[in-house]
Amino acid sequence: MKPAPFNYHAPSTTEEAVGLLAELGSQGRILAGGQSLFQLMNFRVVKPENLIDINPVSELDYIRVDDGTLAIGARTRQSALERSTEAARHSPLIVEAVKNVAHPSVRNRGTVGGSVAYADPASELPAVVLTSGGEVVLTGADGQRTLSAGDFFRGPYTNACSPDELLTEVRLPRWPDGTGHAFLEFQRKHGSYALVGTAVLVHLDGESIDRVAISLCGVDQTPVRASRAEDLVRGNVPSDGLFEEAAAEATSDLHPLPDVKGSAAYRLKLARVYVRRALELAVSRAKGERP
Amino acid sequence: MVETREESAERKWVGKSIQRIEDPRLLLGRGGYIDDMRLPGMLHAALVRSPHAHARIKSVNVEAARRLPGVTAVVTGEEAAELCNPMPDFGPDPTRHEWRCLAKDKVRYVGEGVAAVVAESRAVAEDACDLVEVEYEPLPPVVDPEAAMEPDSPLVHDALGSNIAYEKTMVFGEVDRDFEGADVVVSDHLRWHRSSGQPLETVGAIGNFDPGSGMMTIHVNSLTFTSYLFMVANTLKVPSNRLDIHPHPAGGSFGSKFWAVKVAIIAGMLAKHTGRPVKFIEDRVDNISNSDHHGSDRTYQVELAATRGGILKSLRVKVVDDYGAYIQFGVGHHGNALAQAVGPYRIGSLQYELHAVLTNKCQQGAYRGFGSEVQNWVLERMVDLMARELEMDPVELRRKNFIQPDQFPYFIPNGNLYDSGNYEGVLDKALELSDYESWREEQRRLREEEGRYVGIGICTAQERSVFSATEFWFWFDEPAAPVTSMPESVTLDVDAMGNITATLYSCAFWGNSPETMVAQLVAEEFDVEPSQVNVVYSGTNQGLPATGPGGSRFTVMIAGAVQGASKKIKDKAFKIAEHLLEAAPGDLEWSEGGVAVKGSPDRRKELSEIAMAAHLFKHSLPDEIESGLEADQVYDHPYTTMPSEDRKNLGVFYPFVGHACHIPVVEVDIETGKVSFLRYTAVHDAGTVVNPRSLNGHIIGGIAQGLGTALLEEFVYDESGQLLTSSYQDYLIPSALDVPEVVVGHHETPSPYTVHGIKGAGEGGRMMAPAAISSAIDDALRPLGVRVRELPATPERILGWIEAAQAQSSS
Repeated sequence: MKPAPFNYHAPSTTEEAVGLLAELGSQGRILAGGQSLFQLMNFRVVKPENLIDINPVSELDYIRVDDGTLAIGARTRQSALERSTEAARHSPLIVEAVKNVAHPSVRNRGTVGGSVAYADPASELPAVVLTSGGEVVLTGADGQRTLSAGDFFRGPYTNACSPDELLTEVRLPRWPDGTGHAFLEFQRKHGSYALVGTAVLVHLDGESIDRVAISLCGVDQTPVRASRAEDLVRGNVPSDGLFEEAAAEATSDLHPLPDVKGSAAYRLKLARVYVRRALELAVSRAKGERP
Repeated sequence: MVETREESAERKWVGKSIQRIEDPRLLLGRGGYIDDMRLPGMLHAALVRSPHAHARIKSVNVEAARRLPGVTAVVTGEEAAELCNPMPDFGPDPTRHEWRCLAKDKVRYVGEGVAAVVAESRAVAEDACDLVEVEYEPLPPVVDPEAAMEPDSPLVHDALGSNIAYEKTMVFGEVDRDFEGADVVVSDHLRWHRSSGQPLETVGAIGNFDPGSGMMTIHVNSLTFTSYLFMVANTLKVPSNRLDIHPHPAGGSFGSKFWAVKVAIIAGMLAKHTGRPVKFIEDRVDNISNSDHHGSDRTYQVELAATRGGILKSLRVKVVDDYGAYIQFGVGHHGNALAQAVGPYRIGSLQYELHAVLTNKCQQGAYRGFGSEVQNWVLERMVDLMARELEMDPVELRRKNFIQPDQFPYFIPNGNLYDSGNYEGVLDKALELSDYESWREEQRRLREEEGRYVGIGICTAQERSVFSATEFWFWFDEPAAPVTSMPESVTLDVDAMGNITATLYSCAFWGNSPETMVAQLVAEEFDVEPSQVNVVYSGTNQGLPATGPGGSRFTVMIAGAVQGASKKIKDKAFKIAEHLLEAAPGDLEWSEGGVAVKGSPDRRKELSEIAMAAHLFKHSLPDEIESGLEADQVYDHPYTTMPSEDRKNLGVFYPFVGHACHIPVVEVDIETGKVSFLRYTAVHDAGTVVNPRSLNGHIIGGIAQGLGTALLEEFVYDESGQLLTSSYQDYLIPSALDVPEVVVGHHETPSPYTVHGIKGAGEGGRMMAPAAISSAIDDALRPLGVRVRELPATPERILGWIEAAQAQSSS
């Protein structure tokens, strides 16, 4: 199980990496942590002619807060995010989510930018970026642009990056103090792909919910924001009935991709259970009832 | 002639939990795995695999592949059929379902090899595989075994004229009478899907042919059945005395490397063809799709008869087994099932109806249990069902029907023998270790107060060990090879310094800790430290008769060989000591690793002194003593008898029968179908335990695999015969994080027929866990009326059963 032959490039700066992309165009492929790409190459599902290895690009390895926004460099290892106190303070949701990514050895190598750019519909981090109202920064030879998560994810393993652009940063806005979060996912076994994942952020104004975001992964072509379910919940006092209703609404128009680990119908059932449970957990955290 | 073993004096090393001798080497990566081995000038091979389940090979164009720089040779199936004879096949009618190392004329499953490429590196070999153009004419795939049995089904093997490779109904005892006389009959339809052992290192071999001497040497991490390797020589068209196979650490087998000869044959064929050493090691897709070692794939219709009072009377089994594209071992898997078909219960009669069917899938091989684990699951499912029908406690129903300690040796209806046992002793220990009663209380509380679905499972089942080969052929009226014993051998050599080397003759680097076992057994015989014993492996060419691991036989058999060889050496040592100590034969005793005069412990000779005399001072010793201090022992199966002509009695073929009781406590999430573990208790009786620590490892590892079989693992072939689970993304094996901590207990009822009373115990974990876990899920979902009738019990299946039960109860 060996990859087809390829040329290997190892730029040490973002500028060099972007320069190589401009030069190689669609013949170039970015290698970050390699936790997905190498599998595809070893199975010869993909045979890139050129690999541009951004592991030496250390300037893309950072987690910092700019103007109330959590900025994560694309080459930051998932394990660094998992252990970051800065990230935990700013976005406990992404820290809870990243712990569901495979196993520690994978997270030691896998990167935040790689996971977001790969746009696996079952993946955790894209769902979190979507839930938080986050953005991605794309850098090309002609400069940078920033896209909202909703505009970035286009389909299974498809994003809005041009062939000459490199995803360089993921940005998550801060939610107000007292926001409750929950990331829950269903795995057939520990560390395997999520059949369904749900990310929820909830803020209460007194008794009722004033801000809410609900996303799901593993249930459609891209991570999905459940806007109608959010509308249903917003402005209401949390209750079992409300959660149940929201869960039904959130899963009313999804199109999961079936595989041998779970049929589409089963994933829908799971999604409904998981949205309800994630809402319950996030609200109880917002109320300070659970850590 | 069977002798009952006298209870020996206290043992010093047998029974001790010493650390495994293999551990430092294997755990630190210094084991010498086959993939680490390189020979000068070595080439690498890769296979072109069939993408079709069933297709005629119209043409194979290898020109582009041959021209790729770095490629040495490309061998097609047609060419391989010239270079090699068909593969060794123990199945019925082997000439009518010819099995070859590479497919010729047609492919019969996805993943079957069509051509082999040899190149300077594995990467180049794979590049060249991409350039091989195979033109296929797809044929209708045979996937569903029931449909495969229909007369108009497309044929997997045209020459056979049917997809039914074998069928037979065997009746033991008065089955019809017992069913007619029964108060209660429960019946069920049960389904066990295929899975297999997953080794860390796949099957690999390095072939090395010396055209000067004509010697074919193959280094391999697989194989058992050492004495049958002449069949490999025949396939490779080399004389049997010019084939030498060198064993390397298996890197995991669990049965999956039992007779994994195809890789060795391909490597040998390519080495002979190219004139250079060739390594061929499966990649994971090869191993999953083309291992020849998928496990059982069975559909059952079962009936169990009992009295109203809960006395089990008779069992009727009808089983359809989907063997895949070939049937290399015949139906030996069902010999295994028959070995303990009635479990630990006094069931007086048995009917066993078998249909072995060929389909377009990878063929079955061996997997921990070899088919007996499925029978355990089926029988325990039925006993639980009977308990429910009779509204009896499942523990009490079992207790009521156990064969009692004073009934051993006990012949089951088909003629096999259970040597010894104390099933209630095992059960009581398991109930105690598992806090059974308090969990029953906790189960009620969690149900009532928290609405949680917790279940306590129970399995009390058999663990047969040490097969006799009769189970492979008693199915046939005129067996081709009515072999009986499957011997195991050892050579012990005491060097001039008194250090002992044990040479083993089977490819034994499996999980059975052969070196630890042999070191402990030799230490026991000579009263020396196990660290004084060096264990080495012989190539097969200089080998004594050997069978190797499989069917939980190795420890029992090697113990017999070690004891015999030790006695020969000690007899000679006594003779030498008589001379050195000027003592009469009767006055000496073996003491603290040497020979001493009884009553005068100071008058003694150490083993090293005796050995020095034996090796160097022959002319100072009596004439009849030859130089040296070594001995061989070939140990034959200690207790097997021939089947009767009419096969109403199959004879004794699997007589050292352990027992175990597993009690898992699980919780089922009834909204998702997910099963999680709250506790797991396993008590095993494997006779005298040689090393409790390594046996615990066997039990826990086996439970992990049984858990995989019960909840996760399944090779899924779709309607077109495509394998949907060809990597670990889709074929889910449990990791350490998915397996609960297991509380292990031992209960020792020695076998009266084996050295030290040992019974084999390598497979017990997996032979119990599927039944026990199924029982626990049933118990958790009892309020919903759900029973497990299909494995793996995936969360989606469980949720489906819950929904079906709810729909039924509301309609």
